[in-house]
Amino acid sequence: MTELQHGAQPGAQHAGSQAQRHEVDLVLVGAGPVGLYGAYYAGVRGLRVALVDSLPEPGGQVTAMYPEKPIYDIAGFPSVRGRELVDNLVAQAGQYDPLYLLGQQAQSLERVPTADGPDRFELTTSTGTVVDCGAVVVTGGIGTFTPRPLPAGEEFLGRGLSYFVPTLDDFADTDVVVVGGGDSACDWVLALRPIARSVTLVHRRQKFRAHAATVDAVRACGATVVTDAQVTRIEGDGRIEKVEVTGKDGGCVLEAQRVVAALGFLADLGPMREWGFDLHDNRHLVVDSTMSTDVPGVYAAGDIAEYAGKVRLIAVGFGEVATAVNNAAVHLDPEASLFPGHSTDAAPPPPQPAAAVA
Amino acid sequence: MPYVIMSDCIDITDQSCVEECPVDCIYVGERKLYINAKECIDCGACEPVCPVEAIAQDRRVPDDQQEFIEDNRSFFTDPLPGRDEPVGTPGGSRNVGDIGIDTALVAAHPGNG
Repeated sequence: MTELQHGAQPGAQHAGSQAQRHEVDLVLVGAGPVGLYGAYYAGVRGLRVALVDSLPEPGGQVTAMYPEKPIYDIAGFPSVRGRELVDNLVAQAGQYDPLYLLGQQAQSLERVPTADGPDRFELTTSTGTVVDCGAVVVTGGIGTFTPRPLPAGEEFLGRGLSYFVPTLDDFADTDVVVVGGGDSACDWVLALRPIARSVTLVHRRQKFRAHAATVDAVRACGATVVTDAQVTRIEGDGRIEKVEVTGKDGGCVLEAQRVVAALGFLADLGPMREWGFDLHDNRHLVVDSTMSTDVPGVYAAGDIAEYAGKVRLIAVGFGEVATAVNNAAVHLDPEASLFPGHSTDAAPPPPQPAAAVA
Repeated sequence: MPYVIMSDCIDITDQSCVEECPVDCIYVGERKLYINAKECIDCGACEPVCPVEAIAQDRRVPDDQQEFIEDNRSFFTDPLPGRDEPVGTPGGSRNVGDIGIDTALVAAHPGNG
């Protein structure tokens, strides 16, 4: 097993943190592989950049759905695990210190005219953070992710029930019930087992979707694994005290103070539907050969972008976002060259980190 | 490049796949479920949870089930019996609820009994 780094992102601002205002050159909406690579290229161009994502960790679909899958079509990497690819992209972008606005959804985009130059934008997130920027690249893949709700006990959300584990320490000396059968559920079990008093994994089927080696590790780690069962009730006076688990052969009530529901995600284009884009099939943003959408100053790249002949592969998205960011650089400064130079040329000095404006 | 639901789903409609699909692209007919080819992202989360193994990637559909590749597609692109408009791409099954109608191929299917 690799080291688990849930919630340990440098510079990440999580939901619930105080709403802030930031000023950057470029916002990337979506911190999946394509957005992360775009942050690298924006750094090369000397742009101050912010990455916004509804998930609490970077990596998008790769992190949420296939962290353990080997990926075979990254140029120069015969095989790379999803998790490693994301770690490497974060490191590559990290040279330029992008601002991560994670665990918050990009909700509205307002055009702000200026007296003496191109319009600017104000992007507002679900936590109230406002980002003043000159251009936007949408690298939103399949849209905004929302955790699939637990069928019972939803009222305990934030009072013992969570969809993510932002801080492992919150689980010290507690009895935890993790629900789900994918990689995320198994990862939480493995991460929490050394910290929590007890960990029980409840999965509604016999078969796990998680990688076989991960499931083996879960079975060997000392956690209790209950399959063919569901959480049917959560009880407690204010906070979680008891969790009812019902299976084919009856049920039981567990003493527990924490429930982590890792039942996967539902993705949807979400608020972006209202941003005025030309949508294709109600889910893709139509772009031209500069990756510009029909909204001037807003570009799209990766799975969410659409044009004649589009091939939806991660390999293609990397190229698209390089095109999008470099064209955005010219939008921001019409005097700038479209071509960024070669990465083998002398490295430009890294830009200053995005400053928080009070 | 989507996943396809084949004939073994007919009269079963377990819907475990619906719970797994991250983009909510599996729609409910009357006797069978259908995957919207334009909305499917090819993730494969649905395939292992089907209790009757009725789901396969279009590239791996057995020879005797090939007609279901086009049938899944036409459920969305052609008007269903009794309807004037195709289902199209509603952006998620939950946006339209159960469709309650099958394609002609499925409606006339003898079933799995």
